[in-house]
This record gives sequence, C-alpha cells and structure tokens, in this order.
Amino acid sequence: MSVEVINVTKKFGHFTALDSVSLKVESGELVALLGPSGSGKTTLLRTIAGLEFPDPGAARVLFYGEDVTQTPASERKAGFAFQHYALFRHMTVFENIAFGLRVRPKTTRPPEEEIRARVQKLLKLIQLEPMAGRYPSQLSGGQRQRVALARALAVEPKVLLLDEPFGALDAKVRKELRRWLRQLHDEIHVTTLFVTHDQEEALEVSDRVAILRAGRIEQIGTPEEIYDRPASPFVYDFLGNVNLFSGRVRDGSMLIGGTEFALSEKTNEAKSAAVAFVRPHDIRVTRASTGPALPALVIRSNAAGPVATLELKRLDGGDDFVVQLSREQFQELRPKPGEQVFVELKNVKVFADDYSI
Amino acid sequence: MTPAATPFQLPQRLPQRHATTESPFVRRGLIGIALVFLGLFLVVPLVSVFVQAFSKGIAFYIHTLGDPNAWSAIKLTLLAAGISVPLNCVFGVAAAWVIAKFDFRGKNVLLTLIDLPFSVSPVISGMIYVLVFGAQGWLGHYRDAEHAWFPWLQSWINDHNIKIIFAVPGIVLATIFVTFPFVARELIPLMQAQGRSEEEAARVLGASGWQTFWRVTVPNIKWGLLYGVILCNARAMGEFGAVSVVSGKIRGETNTLPLHIEALYDDYNFAGAFAMASLLAFLALVTLGLKTWVEHKNAASNDKGEKL
Repeated sequence: MSVEVINVTKKFGHFTALDSVSLKVESGELVALLGPSGSGKTTLLRTIAGLEFPDPGAARVLFYGEDVTQTPASERKAGFAFQHYALFRHMTVFENIAFGLRVRPKTTRPPEEEIRARVQKLLKLIQLEPMAGRYPSQLSGGQRQRVALARALAVEPKVLLLDEPFGALDAKVRKELRRWLRQLHDEIHVTTLFVTHDQEEALEVSDRVAILRAGRIEQIGTPEEIYDRPASPFVYDFLGNVNLFSGRVRDGSMLIGGTEFALSEKTNEAKSAAVAFVRPHDIRVTRASTGPALPALVIRSNAAGPVATLELKRLDGGDDFVVQLSREQFQELRPKPGEQVFVELKNVKVFADDYSI
Repeated sequence: MTPAATPFQLPQRLPQRHATTESPFVRRGLIGIALVFLGLFLVVPLVSVFVQAFSKGIAFYIHTLGDPNAWSAIKLTLLAAGISVPLNCVFGVAAAWVIAKFDFRGKNVLLTLIDLPFSVSPVISGMIYVLVFGAQGWLGHYRDAEHAWFPWLQSWINDHNIKIIFAVPGIVLATIFVTFPFVARELIPLMQAQGRSEEEAARVLGASGWQTFWRVTVPNIKWGLLYGVILCNARAMGEFGAVSVVSGKIRGETNTLPLHIEALYDDYNFAGAFAMASLLAFLALVTLGLKTWVEHKNAASNDKGEKL
C-alpha cells in the first residue's frame, strides 16, 4: 500500500469539497481521479501533497504506512505537477528541474556533478535535451508540461501527483502526451495519481479510475469494470454518451413500447416505471426487424470521422436517441433522413435507485 | 449577370484607417494642447529652477551648497530616507506577501489602512505625531502619568531623555508614515497576479519557507520592488508637509532639504533657495530616468512570464 487516504473531510466555508473520502493506491499503480468540476478531485490531490490539510477529525493520510497527515508539503517527498505547470519563470529549464535537488540541506544535497547528471538524464527522458537553456516562456504548452513532470520526478518522489496534466493543451498534443505518460509510467513505475475531467483520458491511461461526485468517491475500479458495470446512473452518464428509454421491468427484462429487451444484469424486481440506459454503440439498426426491435425514424446522419452517428426518433412517440455505427455498417445501411428503420437494443442497463442524472 | 457586363475596375486603394482614428485636424489639435500644457506647467518651471539656481553664478551656487546648514539639511534628508526606505521596503514586502498569498479575516481593513497615508493630508500626518509624542501629547513629558496612554512607554521615553518632536526621530517617524504605502501598493497587484502556484511548487519540491521566498518570490517581484523603492525614496526626500509640522525648523539641526529651501526663500535668498531646489529637481529627473528603465525591465520580465 503506497498511498492511503482515510476519512478525509475538507470544507471551504459552507462548501464541502471532500466528504469523508477514503482511497487506497497500490505501489506502482496509475490511478485517475475523474469527476466534474467541483467534485473535489483537485482538493483530494492537494491534500495528498500537503498543500491542503484535512479538517480535524479522524482524517489520516499515509505514505507507505507512515502517517503524514500533519507533515508539511516540503517534507512529504511527493512530486506535484500543476495544471498550469507553475514553472519558475525566471529559471531555465535546467534550473527548474534541478530546483528540488538544489534546495536540499547540505547534508543530503548531491554534489554538483551528480545534480547535472541527474538533470541531463531527466532531460533525455522528456526528450528536451536541446531546450535545457531556454526559459519556460520559450516553450510550447506540451514542452512545459514535460518540464513540470521532470521537475517533479527529479526529487525521486514517493508518489507523483498530476493535476489536470493535459488540461491546458490542444486535443492533438493531449493525446500524444497521455500516451507518452503511460509509457513513462511503464518505464519508471512510480505510484501516480492524476486528476482529470476527461473520461476518455482516464479510461485510456490509468490502471484504476476513481469517480468523484460532490466530494465523495462514487465508484473505483479498472477502466473495464467501471465502463461495463457502472455503479450508478451518474457514473454511467459521466463515462460516455447515453440514451434513455422509459418503460417497465417485468420478469427480468425491460419492456419498452411493447417490445421486450433482455437486461444486461438480471433483476427479479418488477418496476412499473423504469429508465433503461443504452450506449449509442449498443444499438443495432436494421431495415427489417429480425427479433425484438423498436421502429424509429431517421432524422439526421453524419458519417464524418471514425464512427458514423445517426439521430433517430421513436415512431411510438418516445424521445429522440443517438446511434453510433462503424463506417462499414453505415456504408451497408446508407440510411436517409425520413426513412423508417428498426433498432435492437443490447446491454440494456437499469439501476435500482431512481434515475437522477 | 455575365462577366462582360461588369467593366474592369482597378481595386480602389484606401489609406489604412482604424475605427478609432480621428481626423488629422483633431489629432494635431489634441497633441498641440497637450504639449503647450506640458511646457507651461512642467518644462518652464523646471528650467526656471536651474536658471534661478545659477542666476548669481556658479561660485554662489557652490557657496550655497557648501553652507554648513545646507550640508546638515542634506545629511538629515539622506538619513530620513535611509531609515524609512529600507523599513518600508521590509514592511511593504511583508504586507503584500500576507495580502496576496493568504486569506484571512480583516484583509480589506489592512488594505484600507495601508492606503491611509495616501488619503490623509501630510500636515495631519505630522499633527498625529505631535499629538502622540509632543510635550502635551499622550506620551509627552508634561502629561501626568495618570492620563498617559502607556505610562511605561512614557516613563521609558522620559527616563532615557528621548526627544521625538522637534528632533530627528520625529522627522524619521513622519517620513516613514507618509511613504509607507509605496512599496506595498506596488507589490500587492503584482503578487496577486502571480498567484501562489510557484511557491506551492517550491514547497512540494522540498524548499523551506525561507528558500521559497529568496529563490522564487523575490526574483519574481524584484523589478516591482525596485520601482516601489524608487518612488518611496523620491517621496521620502521630497516630503514637506508632515516633516514641517514635527521638525521645529531649527537650522542646522532639524531642517531637511525641503525645509531648508523654504527657510532660504523666506530670507529673500531666492538664488540660494533655487540652488538647493535644483538638487531636488535633479533627484526628480534621476528618479524619472530610473523609473522608466525599471518599467521597461518590468514589462520585459512580465512578457517572459505572461504565457505561463
């Protein structure tokens, strides 16, 4: 167990940022803290770093079993990369990375040659060796983020904390950098927590994802677990696009507009009013119905990009919904606006608690 | 419409114009008014100071500056500035640090208090010290101990025979009071704009509070700090009102440079007064030059950090 947070509560005035949160991170793990803004994910990260302190009470923060709840940030040996990098603007890239080593007390400070060697090694790791003499303002956003990472890694942290590491970058650089981060983590295996509001990023990069909502951890698990078995409508909705179909639950299946669909998880509970959750890619569109299917009207179609999107309207007066098709399926079907089709729903999910997205 | 129907036309070339540009007449008029105003109220008086200063020749000029009373006034002014500028520098950095980097109750009260010397007339600033330290004041010699505000402080001052009003300590105190917003006012917006994240980064990297201050905070504010110090110094050397109340104007003892100028002027020694005034005018020009240079440097270093 490398990082453990127990019962942490943090209030700012009347706003509860964290509501008795507990979290365990295994050594060498890469964990994403995912949630909408205001869910407390950054506060949790800052509490682990020692930049915020939990409200007095039963709260504890442990690093490798050692209680650091009251330890100041400067003595925790955590690495922290800030959302807007917070590079020292008056120092070169080299000096930024060397800072954590240079401020050590004389007894533990490595000699100058060793500092140089370590910074050079890190510059190589982040592929910015030629930029050593530049100032942060002379770098691009992606380069700055890599310098911020190298600076955090230079002190050989017990845990690496990244606050929205790719938040301020444009879409293309983001994707490159997060793949690079995953590779880097596989190389150096430092326990890492990173905050993001981008579910795609969390699912792609991390070993486990913790989903936060209003200061509480709603669900924690591997990306597959939380995507395939979301614990609540909130998690389901937050992880991707969703279509809602209202109907009834009877004999372990979902009755929508007179048609019965199998539920992804069997339930024996009967409900007179239920809401079924279906992902846009779990809907099959056909011209002729071969099994249980709903009739629908094509409103709009868009085939630009890797997947094609169809907007449909239920013929029996229900709501609009969205379907994603592969390009091949789309080419085969060639649906035209105004045309009638049939849709088969797969992986229909019903939550025990009432719908509250 | 067929293409042939439109006769070929050369694209018309219009002079580049901005939406906010006025006609040349208005522009020249405005610039002219500004220049005349500047000349009449700034350049002419400034030139006249130097002309008057040398109106009785260079020998007289040197004689006036070499006068022991003049020399003592210069020394006193340098002393007052030399004490008040460093003190206000420390105070200004501390106040700006506290206001920009921490949240606490009463922050706005502190901000308002820092502005107090700007909003109150310097004469009143001087009066405050007379009321507190004067012979009849709250801590004065002749105040009976029962009515004294801090009897121990009063007796300490009396026992050590410390004279404040009509003496050098009063002049220094008045100068500190009048100049104390300069550094703080300059740094507060700068430090607020820079935020706390660089300091936080330094702390997480293991830097102590002191290391964070010297290695991260100070380099980021150095030009703003220097700018504040220059303005603070100019005001400290030029202060008249507050110092005039507490000084007692004893020639050769408690006269600062501005007070000495007034004294010479009252003696109808115009050339002498202007000779001394030329020193202050020269200081103003040096201050302006330094200020421009620092502003330029500051803008350059802000540019460097802007994109962060």
